[in-house]
Amino acid sequence: METIIKIKNLTYDYNQRKHALRGINLNIYKGQKLAVIGSNGAGKSTFFLNINGVLKSDCGEIYYRDELITRRKLNQLRKNVGIVFQDADQQIIASTVMQEVSFGPMNLKLPREEVIQRVEQALAYMNISEYKDRPPHYLSGGEKKRVSIADIIAMKSEVIIFDEPTAGLDPYNTDMLEEVLVKLGHEGKTLLISTHDMNFVYRWADRAIVFCNGQIIADGTPLEVFRNEEVLKRASLKRPTLLDVYDMLIEKKKLCQSDVYPKTTEELYALL
Amino acid sequence: MKNNKIDRHKDDINKEACVHEPAQHRAEHSHRLFTHHHSHGEGSSIDYQAYHSKIRGWNPTFKFLFTCIALILCIGLDNPYVSVTTIVAMGFVSIVLGGVSFHDYLSTMMLPITFILLGTLMIGIDFSLTPKGEYNFHFGFFYIITSKSRLLHMGAIILKVFGAISTMITLTLSTPATEIVGVLRKLKVPKLIIELMNMIYRYIFVMMDTYRQMKESAESRLGFVDYKTSLHTFAGIASNIFVVTLKRSGDYYNALESRCYEGELLFLEEEKPIKAVQAGFAVLYVVVVLALWWAT
Repeated sequence: METIIKIKNLTYDYNQRKHALRGINLNIYKGQKLAVIGSNGAGKSTFFLNINGVLKSDCGEIYYRDELITRRKLNQLRKNVGIVFQDADQQIIASTVMQEVSFGPMNLKLPREEVIQRVEQALAYMNISEYKDRPPHYLSGGEKKRVSIADIIAMKSEVIIFDEPTAGLDPYNTDMLEEVLVKLGHEGKTLLISTHDMNFVYRWADRAIVFCNGQIIADGTPLEVFRNEEVLKRASLKRPTLLDVYDMLIEKKKLCQSDVYPKTTEELYALL
Repeated sequence: MKNNKIDRHKDDINKEACVHEPAQHRAEHSHRLFTHHHSHGEGSSIDYQAYHSKIRGWNPTFKFLFTCIALILCIGLDNPYVSVTTIVAMGFVSIVLGGVSFHDYLSTMMLPITFILLGTLMIGIDFSLTPKGEYNFHFGFFYIITSKSRLLHMGAIILKVFGAISTMITLTLSTPATEIVGVLRKLKVPKLIIELMNMIYRYIFVMMDTYRQMKESAESRLGFVDYKTSLHTFAGIASNIFVVTLKRSGDYYNALESRCYEGELLFLEEEKPIKAVQAGFAVLYVVVVLALWWAT
């Protein structure tokens, strides 16, 4: 597999007393669907800002496609790694949807025609073309979220980070978001998502990393992570409901033990 | 607070569900949403009108220059006939072309009425101990005096002020703030001011929303139960807003940087061509006004 981001011994602190990140080592591969889990304040957001190039630590190294990112090359990272912030209002800077989505491509110093084309594509992708001329303060929470995703799609970055994308969204918008994530996954984008929805992690991710007190304490497939009692306890995580149900069915001999773990209710039904 | 959140939430869902419905239905819905927003002070009504104006598609530079020329003519020519023409023409542009309802237009025009009346009253009337004016009103030991020419002068000034206001109202009711900022940028106003205007406009709404949330949560805990408590609560909210602003400005800066911000806010601006009819209308207006001035 092709390594897209390589992180070596990354340490970051906001002030001298407390380390937000302590010695992170991680390889992120192209096309991976990576779930980043851990309790509040475990260092997920700080980690994201570091691999996006907004925060720069003096300790540790980050490589983007085998190129060491120095202070001068931070924009290299920002161009190729996009981040959709948790709070859409934190991200939206312009006063119309079109201007907002054009902000990234304009900063990439693309020609005008290219910017227009990218903006229109991104708006169509998120199904918000009709809101083009609306100001963000007349949009609902779900619509703002879509705008903030279109922002990053227009930049065509290879890696997209979603910081708790489902926070504050209603079920309709959560479904919409998941569809977009699947679609982006099919297009070969590398996706990193932090979330507290373990059912989602179990069903969507192909790799999960667990943060606890600024360190990565587990790294593997979601199944491996959720079967590791010690990790679950240390990071105070809940197991996905489906996995619990499946284990109970096996315990009560309703199902025979196999290597196939159902990831959706439909798959479980098929097994039964 | 909680209730309100649920309400908003419901509205979000309603709005989402609305996406696939016919356009007309949606328009009604968005209007309902507007009243919802408005009642919470999330958006001002002038701002809303500007975004929904039928002449929003006109070239903003054209609108800006046209209304500025109309303003200069109205003040510079100093002629009551020109003032009346300006008021009628601008009313036509706003109401008939722009689609602002007569009531909304009138109430926007009437916003500065108190200032205008207070300002012009002293031109129309005077005080005196003796009844030396054309018309005198006796008030105990003094008279309020006035004359026909004074009253006409006052009327002319009121008309002129209303004419001038109507030009600016026409501009603000048809052109969103961002587009006006875009015009100023083209007119080479310093970048610093342009960017400040853009950001202030965007974050006014964020701040108003934050303030509303804080106020509602204080209200739900009886923070405004009497005058003394209200003062105390308001002070608390004000200082809290300050702290939150400070913290969030850091977050916003991070968000800017993550999208390759390098010290200059760059946005795509749509190009809206000027149509011959619009230019024709503008020229016709200027000719009519100048002709009126010359004739009287």
